[in-house]
Amino acid sequence: MSLSKIGWPLAALSGAFAVLWLTPAFPHAVCGARTFPATLAIDDPGVLDELTLPSVSWVPNNSDGAHEWDASFSWTKTITPGLSVVIGSGPTWEHPGGYGWNALDTALQWQALCIPDAEFMFKVGFDVSWGGTGTGMFAGTGGQNTYTPFVDFGLGFGTLPQSLKYLRPFAVTGEFSTSTPGQDYTNGSPNVSTFNWGFTLQYSLPYFNTQLAAIDNDFLKRLVPVAEFAFQTPIYNGAVAGQTTTGYFQPGVIYAADKWQVALEAMVPMTAATGHGVGVIGSLDFYLDDIPNRIDEPIFPHGLGIAPGI
Amino acid sequence: MRTNILKVAASLAFALAASQAFAHAQLQKATPPVGGTVASASEIRLEFSEGVEPKFTKVTLIGPGGGAVPLGAASTAAGNQAVLIVPIAKPLVAGDYKVHWQAVSVDTHHTQGTFEFSVKP
Repeated sequence: MSLSKIGWPLAALSGAFAVLWLTPAFPHAVCGARTFPATLAIDDPGVLDELTLPSVSWVPNNSDGAHEWDASFSWTKTITPGLSVVIGSGPTWEHPGGYGWNALDTALQWQALCIPDAEFMFKVGFDVSWGGTGTGMFAGTGGQNTYTPFVDFGLGFGTLPQSLKYLRPFAVTGEFSTSTPGQDYTNGSPNVSTFNWGFTLQYSLPYFNTQLAAIDNDFLKRLVPVAEFAFQTPIYNGAVAGQTTTGYFQPGVIYAADKWQVALEAMVPMTAATGHGVGVIGSLDFYLDDIPNRIDEPIFPHGLGIAPGI
Repeated sequence: MRTNILKVAASLAFALAASQAFAHAQLQKATPPVGGTVASASEIRLEFSEGVEPKFTKVTLIGPGGGAVPLGAASTAAGNQAVLIVPIAKPLVAGDYKVHWQAVSVDTHHTQGTFEFSVKP
């Protein structure tokens, strides 16, 4: 991306968005015997109450060649058992570049399906990044919203035959979404629409411990080694803005307690346009649905009778 | 404003976490042990992370021949609603057994799981 072409604010926004799309941690999900933990790059397929506070990442050289720190929070609140809203935001520091709060981000998501015996579930949702709510280096990047419909799915391998039983703790999750700015151009500079896609491969030792063989170590039995792959591919205005596919490979591990989890992953750029150098990301998540409080139940616990889960 | 949001969010997570726990009942430990081998077993004991409702919690035991092994009524341990005890109606013969459980925690969250154990000859 040419900084002289679009200026620092938009360059910073673009660079930060590329990382930020990959950095928020997302709620955990439960379907049958499978618990999908909150992963850092790819949203999991659940809609449960959860608080991510904080998620922090560092990359030595982002797509603009800047040294970057990001922090964020995300709060998911169920409206009905299968419907929840998400609110999140957070600051970014870039050098060179500056500092600023990213735009406020909200989403509505619906648990469309869970087949317990198949350990399969997916959700659909719609995310809005609200224009004009950023500050600092994100304050002058235009007032348009960015709209992101998304689909997330998860599949546990628990139905594998007995001969492959040690592969049953494996699970995959994936996400597909498109992010479309409300305007094609801001002050003559192109706004890029992207196709966001990726998946995770995870091996759940908690699943191993409760389904295959007891693990006699309180620490090990809560670990979930995970590998995440998350990419952004420009689908509109990409060529004009000089953008190509960016993405990270994020190997790491999650420690999942009963009511919270902590995750730590490396961030390995997968394309030259992503940047270079290995970064790191970590998060702390609280399973609010599993923590006793006055907000852990859906606002309408029995649903509204509109659709399954709603 | 955002500072306030962070404060509120943090408060929601921490300050309200002081009463009795109601949540997903995750299996913590089983007797006979998950994947283990025992000489005999007179009951299935499942220890969960949260209290469970015995009336809505279902446990089945499949024997070496593929048939269901008769079980008694499930109950929770005295003074500990997180421990579910299911009597096995008759002595187990040697072989491999499969336990399937479906638990409903006291706040109606559903969880389930399956594990195997063996009874040695």
